[in-house]
Amino acid sequence: MRGGAIPVLAWAGILTVLLAVNAVWTGDEIQIAEYGFAVLVIVLAGVLLIARHRAAIRRGPPEPRPARVEAVPDLSFAAVLAAIAVASILFGLAWAYFLVYFGAGLLLLSLGRLAVEEQAARASRERAEKRPAAEEPDAERGT
Amino acid sequence: MSVTAPAVSTASRASGLFGAAASTDHKRIGLNMGLASLLFFLGGGVMALLMRTQLAQPHMRFVSDETYNELFTMHGSTMIYLFVTPMALALAVYLVPLQIGAASISAPRVVLGAFWVWLSGGIIMQLGWLTEEGAGRSGWFSYVPLANSANTPGVGQDLWTVGVILAAVGLTLIGGCVLATIARRRAPGMSMMRMPVFTWTELVSVLMVVGSFPVLILAMSLLYAERLGAHVFTGYSGAIDYQDLFWFFGHPVVYVMFFPFLGAAAEVIAVNARKRWFGYAAFVASMLAFAALSMSVWSHHMYTTGGVTNQYFAFTSTALAVPAGIEYFDMVGTLIGGSIVLRTSMLFALGFFLQFLIGGLSGIFVASPVLDYHAEDSYIVVAHFHYTLFAGSVFGFFAGVYHWFPKLSGARLREGLGRLHFVLLVIGTNLTFLPMFFLGNDGMVRRIAEYPQHPGWGTLNLLETAGAGVIALAIAVFLLNVVVSLRSRDPAGEDPWLGHTLEWATSSPPPRHNFERALPPVTSYAPLLDLRERAEREDSRTAHVTAGGSGSAGRGAPDAGPEERTS
Repeated sequence: MRGGAIPVLAWAGILTVLLAVNAVWTGDEIQIAEYGFAVLVIVLAGVLLIARHRAAIRRGPPEPRPARVEAVPDLSFAAVLAAIAVASILFGLAWAYFLVYFGAGLLLLSLGRLAVEEQAARASRERAEKRPAAEEPDAERGT
Repeated sequence: MSVTAPAVSTASRASGLFGAAASTDHKRIGLNMGLASLLFFLGGGVMALLMRTQLAQPHMRFVSDETYNELFTMHGSTMIYLFVTPMALALAVYLVPLQIGAASISAPRVVLGAFWVWLSGGIIMQLGWLTEEGAGRSGWFSYVPLANSANTPGVGQDLWTVGVILAAVGLTLIGGCVLATIARRRAPGMSMMRMPVFTWTELVSVLMVVGSFPVLILAMSLLYAERLGAHVFTGYSGAIDYQDLFWFFGHPVVYVMFFPFLGAAAEVIAVNARKRWFGYAAFVASMLAFAALSMSVWSHHMYTTGGVTNQYFAFTSTALAVPAGIEYFDMVGTLIGGSIVLRTSMLFALGFFLQFLIGGLSGIFVASPVLDYHAEDSYIVVAHFHYTLFAGSVFGFFAGVYHWFPKLSGARLREGLGRLHFVLLVIGTNLTFLPMFFLGNDGMVRRIAEYPQHPGWGTLNLLETAGAGVIALAIAVFLLNVVVSLRSRDPAGEDPWLGHTLEWATSSPPPRHNFERALPPVTSYAPLLDLRERAEREDSRTAHVTAGGSGSAGRGAPDAGPEERTS
């Protein structure tokens, strides 16, 4: 998507200047390390955007995208289960250890469910791609 | 011209609670997150009322010292980790895809999972109340060595730590998804410099989230290890290192809690002044500078520790006044020459800017190390940050609620009750927080469960407690307004306020994939205003031709809304 990485990298540039001033002025290792980490995260985000789409670094408005089928799940129990699993593991560490095992089991379950959801998405995408253009896609655009 | 990529639905559809809980629709997730945040806000408000009751008079014994410590810790934690920050991101999750003309948010499953991680963190944090030793009680920052297991024993503090980790993980993931959405899903024609003002404020906020929140996760993980006996933060340098890590998150989050509400107030002011937001390019540049500077000021919370270079942080903290000034300048510029409609949302937006000024100006004082040595740990600081977060951000939030409620519900909130809500909230806010400046200047320190007899302190504290009661009343009026407005609906239609941005170009509430009709062409950051202005020009040309060159359409006619203009 055209231009998406520009503000991210511009911001990383400003942060780098402020980091350099911080490093020279304070010389504090912890501060330089944490600030450097933040700059690195932002730079990586910008690089990732460019890697996904070269135009992300080019100025100007985004152009109309070619029509492509995007599978959007209406519901995802996998995501909810995975979140509760992670929370359960950490809660278990602080409160009762059996919850760690419960969370680990739940996490496995959520991964299985994710595989099912992904399979359904792929099938749905393939069906939509095979359909003649006139029929797609509003009939199935969700609730 | 449709911009939504054809989408197909997958997975089974569930209705009711399960459907709402597992929906990947960004609007549903945003609403769920907003509602959960609001519930936490009510809980945090009850804690504040209990604290204010304790402090109403000198030597009151309404709650024990231990309970008071838990109350101020959980009040701050609830408001910051579970209300204002997530509400800022909930607004992004709901509104940003609509404002940029996208059919959905990037990685909706990640957003859904992140919401549940955050919510679980919030619930785990609050579960501390049920433990024998009580909830977390080392402050919302939980400095070491105070927060280690020797000084704060008990599972409540552990649950607090784990809860913060989960909340921060959830919020970071959501921030990343909002960033990806803005970068990759804008409508054709919407260059970065044509994005709505609110979306820009959310963009800089999520940049700060992804840059600084991981450091909080690290700090809290190390704190948890410390509580297990790992001796991570030992001695004086350990305490300073922890503070450095914590405040590297702790100050940027203040701006994450501010920018989106600034954006909301800016949208409200532009729409209700019936003008384009003034100085857009300067605003965008100032936001980027503002956000970068606010990532560079964290150790001004540590001036009095003697462990940081005060000059650098005084420099960056004072420099914040420049971009902040630009935003005020833009706000005034938008109002000048505007055709102002004083709806409730506009009242809240103006209240936001005016009251935040008090918080901002007092911030310049405490940005100076010399003055901060006087103000540190006194009620001056409490007054300062409540003027920024409550008198500022919460007013901006309510401006946004009154503005966007019709979009998300299809019904308008009642104006009469809204005005009553506004008046009560202004009175309550200033009655509660203004006296704190005087008390702090007079030497009253914060985080104390009781205070001695001192001339004037009892009266001022009683006023503050009364003010807190008025705030509670104002919130009750707001809730009543929501219930009344939803029960007896005043249909809003698509665009009740003649909005400027794309969320007003779809039905209220929007359909599953946001836009069922072609989007209007995006030629600026106010595409719907462009459309109206173009129609106005065409009408004017037609009238001119019809009247043989002597007639013209009335100025602003196509812009005239259903409500009267008040100035």
